Amino acid sequence: MIRTLATLTLILATGTALAHGPTPQKVVQTVTIKAKPDAVWKIVGEFGGIAAWHPDVATVEATGGNAGGAVRKVTLKSGGTLVEGLDEWKGSERTYSYRMSDPDLTALPVSSYSAILTVDPDGDGSRVEWMGRFYRGDTGNEPPENLSDEAGREAMNRYLADGLKGLKARMEGGPTQ
Amino acid sequence: MIGCVRLFGLLVLLAAWPAAGGGLFVVSQQGAKVTRIEVGGATTATLVAAAPAVVAADAAGRLYLSHPDRRVVSVVAPDGSVRSLPLKAQPFGLAAEPDGSRIYVGDWSGNRVIALAMDGAVAGEAATGPDPAHLVLGPAGRLYVAEREGRSVGVIDTVAMRRVGSFPVGDGPFALAYDPARGRLYVANVRSNDVTVIDTQAGRILATVPAGASPYGIAVTADGARVLVSDQHAGKVSVIDAKTLAVTATVPVGPYPEGVAIRGGFAYVANWFSDTVSVIDLATLRETRRIPVAEGPRGLAVAPGAPEASR
Repeated sequence: MIRTLATLTLILATGTALAHGPTPQKVVQTVTIKAKPDAVWKIVGEFGGIAAWHPDVATVEATGGNAGGAVRKVTLKSGGTLVEGLDEWKGSERTYSYRMSDPDLTALPVSSYSAILTVDPDGDGSRVEWMGRFYRGDTGNEPPENLSDEAGREAMNRYLADGLKGLKARMEGGPTQ
Repeated sequence: MIGCVRLFGLLVLLAAWPAAGGGLFVVSQQGAKVTRIEVGGATTATLVAAAPAVVAADAAGRLYLSHPDRRVVSVVAPDGSVRSLPLKAQPFGLAAEPDGSRIYVGDWSGNRVIALAMDGAVAGEAATGPDPAHLVLGPAGRLYVAEREGRSVGVIDTVAMRRVGSFPVGDGPFALAYDPARGRLYVANVRSNDVTVIDTQAGRILATVPAGASPYGIAVTADGARVLVSDQHAGKVSVIDAKTLAVTATVPVGPYPEGVAIRGGFAYVANWFSDTVSVIDLATLRETRRIPVAEGPRGLAVAPGAPEASR
């Protein structure tokens, strides 16, 4: 406990110097959904509407709609809040990109990330791809296990996979968990 | 007459390529490889130490790679042999004097730039603003540093190894390109989604050009007429006209594009997410080819051919 506190204090004390490290990590999850791309996009394309389909999300406070610069504050059921800013939203291509710059390590053990969500046709249905780029929670050279690249990959993959599972359930009418 | 001189210069250049150790290189961070890309698209990869992030080249065709996680800078000789220079730093940004006499290394978490002699000995260091990202050499004796958390570009006197000034830029300055013909510095600002254009001779900001989402890599054409900026979150490259200082075209490339380099009439863009390099024809502004490379391509560098005498 003392060690954890010491680590946490160190991270807080060094602040933004640690917020952007030099080793980015990839994450990608996809799902196929038995629904038309436009129908899926209507639900998933609302930047501020993530609480309607992501089972890990408790509440969202959103401002700015789907315009560049819009912000959503996503509070997770497990605790912590992700403040995400919308970069680009292209309805004609059913895709949007966004980023999180100020970390909340209780929400996700990563120091920053950006992500792109895209809905494409797949046969009669849709394929949703959610990909991202992130930096581990502690971008110093000797990160503790809970803030390592691997911990970040595991948490990000789980967060994206849970979301797409929830979206599929919502669109196909199954259970959300 | 002018045409004749130009043609002659071109022939010399073309003749020099196949015989020399130069070329276009891309560094893959996860794949721990540096890949040489030929004009026709053929590739040759060399395995290096883990997690190289940035690549720079000198006029003799030597390559320099930074490994922030390993506290090491690698030097790859034109014959492919690799030397390792250990550093008490988190090396990221790199610039090399054309004759290779000095390498400048940004220490990301140490807020400084270190000058290394060819043998790896520390020749000096200069304090910078917070989180030095990419570096670029300007006119003789000047090195510019993108100070990512300082909204500034630091100006380093490379003789005194001292930060002698700075320019205020946008939010999150990361990548730099210098046009020696106009004495201009172009700065890609990741968070404010724009490019700051600086007249380094007059010491003033000429313009702030809105670019696409998260401009992350930047290069200027040899004639200085156009500037190419990768928009990381939009999967495209914006083309800025150096005269009007406005975006005149955008070119779709692969996902999460980062480094940009220009060789001849083509631009090369590292698509970090899809492990490819996009080739853009600068005449048509279309992607003509996508070349697979090792995982996690980030930076690119163009090395001129090694002079015969040094081979």
